[in-house]
Amino acid sequence: MKDLRLIKDYRQKPLPALLPVAIAILVTAFIAALVALPAAAIPQDAVANPEYRAFPVIGSRVAIWVVAQLHLMFAAFVLAVPMFAVIIEIIGMVTKDKRYDALAHEFTKLLSVSFSLTATLGALMVVMLVVLYPGVTQYMVSIFSWSFFPYILLFFLEAVFLYSYYYGWGKFSPKVHLSLGIALNIVGTAIMFIANAWLTFMNTPNGISETGALLSMADAMNNFIWMPINIHRMIANVAFGGSIAAAYGAYKYLGAKTQEEKAHYDWMGYVGNFISISALLPLPFAGYWLGKEIYAYSQSLGITLMGGTFSWLFIIQAVLIGNLFLAANYYLWVSMERIEGAERFRKFIKYLLASIAITYLVWATPHSLVATVEEARKMGGAHHPMLGVLGVMSAKNTAVNILILTTYISFLLYRRGNKEPTVSWVKAGNFAQLAIFIGAVAIVIFLGIFGYFVEAKVRIALSVPQVAVVLFTMISVTIIDIYLYRGARSRGKIKWGEMPARAQYVLFFIAVTFAWTMGLMGYVRAGMRQHWHVFGVMADTSPDAFTPTLGFASNVISVTVLIFFSFIAVVFWLTGLAGKKDWEPKEGALIPDGEHADEEVVR
Amino acid sequence: MNTGVKIFLFVLAILAFYSYVGQMVPQKITYPPETAELAADMTTEELAVAGAEIVAGKGTCLGCHTIGSSDASLRFPDLGNIGAVAGSRIDGMSEIEYLAESLYDPDSYIVDRFLPGMPAIGKPPIGLTDDEILAVMAYLQSLGGTSTVTLATTHSFTGQGASGSDGAGATPSGGAAVALGAGLDGPGVFAAFLCGTCHTIDKPDRLVGPSLFDVGSRLSKAEIYEAVMDPDATLAEGYPGGVMPATLGASGFFQKVSPEEIRALVDYLASHTGE
Repeated sequence: MKDLRLIKDYRQKPLPALLPVAIAILVTAFIAALVALPAAAIPQDAVANPEYRAFPVIGSRVAIWVVAQLHLMFAAFVLAVPMFAVIIEIIGMVTKDKRYDALAHEFTKLLSVSFSLTATLGALMVVMLVVLYPGVTQYMVSIFSWSFFPYILLFFLEAVFLYSYYYGWGKFSPKVHLSLGIALNIVGTAIMFIANAWLTFMNTPNGISETGALLSMADAMNNFIWMPINIHRMIANVAFGGSIAAAYGAYKYLGAKTQEEKAHYDWMGYVGNFISISALLPLPFAGYWLGKEIYAYSQSLGITLMGGTFSWLFIIQAVLIGNLFLAANYYLWVSMERIEGAERFRKFIKYLLASIAITYLVWATPHSLVATVEEARKMGGAHHPMLGVLGVMSAKNTAVNILILTTYISFLLYRRGNKEPTVSWVKAGNFAQLAIFIGAVAIVIFLGIFGYFVEAKVRIALSVPQVAVVLFTMISVTIIDIYLYRGARSRGKIKWGEMPARAQYVLFFIAVTFAWTMGLMGYVRAGMRQHWHVFGVMADTSPDAFTPTLGFASNVISVTVLIFFSFIAVVFWLTGLAGKKDWEPKEGALIPDGEHADEEVVR
Repeated sequence: MNTGVKIFLFVLAILAFYSYVGQMVPQKITYPPETAELAADMTTEELAVAGAEIVAGKGTCLGCHTIGSSDASLRFPDLGNIGAVAGSRIDGMSEIEYLAESLYDPDSYIVDRFLPGMPAIGKPPIGLTDDEILAVMAYLQSLGGTSTVTLATTHSFTGQGASGSDGAGATPSGGAAVALGAGLDGPGVFAAFLCGTCHTIDKPDRLVGPSLFDVGSRLSKAEIYEAVMDPDATLAEGYPGGVMPATLGASGFFQKVSPEEIRALVDYLASHTGE
């Protein structure tokens, strides 16, 4: 590890990034003001008579769907990268290891262009909302009018902090620079919280009268799912951002010319993936909370989401998340090949794979099959008579919790790869960890089985102790492991840069799967409102009021993700330009003083 | 092959795979519900048939309820025998009134072993009209019993259904059993949040909480306001703390009630001076 060096190039080539940001801010502010003025006077008209304009060929809904999703993906990335860049920078400051500082800087290189694209897409989305959905936009502005101004101000501040954090690397004292990074995170998070209030209001409206008129903007913002979405998105952004950063590492690794470059980008890919999967582990727990609040607001909304129209969407989600866990574990197992001493853990991989395969299958087992009225009648209700046993939440919650624990074990084995503990209490420590694992699995399975024999109101509450046990296990085992391997003897080196190409493609697979999952869950969050713009308050009376098939939604998501990765390719390319040598004319092409090209060259 | 092209093709393959998965699940388009066309001269039997369609369609009842399932782990009551038991569920309440209450105000009576959660189906987002609800009632009667309902049938909730245009365009109210800031008057808030479950208002009898029969003569409006918004701030002698905050909290009172509704409730309570 110590021989690993990044060729650090602090020469910055400022990209023309501030211009689109400024345009985006101005356009957004202008349109918000334009819409706010008449809207404040006639919100009731907006509720009763929403207006629509048609977008050519693909229709208004698909147009706004794609642009909003692209904006969200870039926004998630731009919010996430500063989070882990600052953490990595802090690790570098504490350990005084320059590699971390260089890595954090490398991550932030991706921000500049991404931020410009986020802003531009955001402005485009606002323009499209105003043009295509003026009635809805007018109503939303009538509810959240004053929140747009701090949003714009914070957005401006984010631009200031982001570019000073990026371009100020190495220019300020570490503490001042770190403060800029922290300020960037605070401002970015505040922006997300405000925007989340707007979108969550559409799902679980609050603070309004029976006719939809505003009673309290604070209540409208603090609706049922505002805080769960804030937390869920914050964690998911880190998972998503980490995966994109890891994909960047993989991209650079595959194009690396030297062993030094390969070692660096192998490490970058590993760290990005580690961040991504670490954030993925607690994500289902945040999802539980979000789901619980949706049910708390309206059981029918919850049922629509989980058991009715969208029940099959969660089977697709299970495939995606199962793939993420499978790929993450596979990457770790392949990564262990480059750790001297880790071969002793190879024998456990088949058991881990079996655990993942079984839990994946259980999680992807459907239960509620309400697709058509005819099907429901034939089945005698909403549930499939044969698959019901595994398709219920008792089984699925159990499967997810064990899947998380299995992935955690893979991490643990990877972490121990080349380490040999030297403390006197090795046996006791290992025994304690094993006992905790066995106890946790036993409790999780027991509660899962117990759920089949109790009534619904007891069963629903069982997911809480299951989650608590898994969290306790991961925290307590980690603490024991840290002390157990303190001062451990090394069994060999980690041979950075000696990863097979397939491991890098796994990182791409994880990034694409994350993006697709984001697209899918974004769709269901908006889609569960069905024919309502604002659930139960403002009906969608446009030609697009119907809920499309999941196949159609899947195609839209795939196209959106393809566009996103095309943009990301541009981001990677532009980011790579900063490290390239200055252009120089071919030898002999310049005349003295460089004022004029010689005639030969001109011809 | 160029690495960039390989990566591009790999990404395309992943996206194609996920699109394929999306095509493999059942494909269904869900259209906004339309108001059922119910002729005034429909027979009870015809009404029950229309009700069955509403139950499976616009009413979205089968998303939660089963019909004829013996599964003990159901989250919501099975409706297979509802026509036989509706008349005897609540002492002194007729079959028609019980079914109507179950549909218009589902939280007022929760079947043993189940949790509240059903929305009032006469309000958005489901938004059935009074006639559609009568059709549903006729169908429910037919499940284990005999249908008697016609479109001429009236009950305590008649007139509280959605307007007749269609479900999507119905006047909005927030979607939950108790509407969000629904613009209720004092008695409306008192009823909507089930205050009468714990407090009497028209007589001095004690229930779970103290009677509010003469609360207007004992407390000022400010004190009543405090007693509602912060119930444990001053406890009436002999009553435990924590009960009312928990009960109101569970009902979503603090999130849903508007300042205007609180004022209306306080005025309503203050008008009860025991005379």
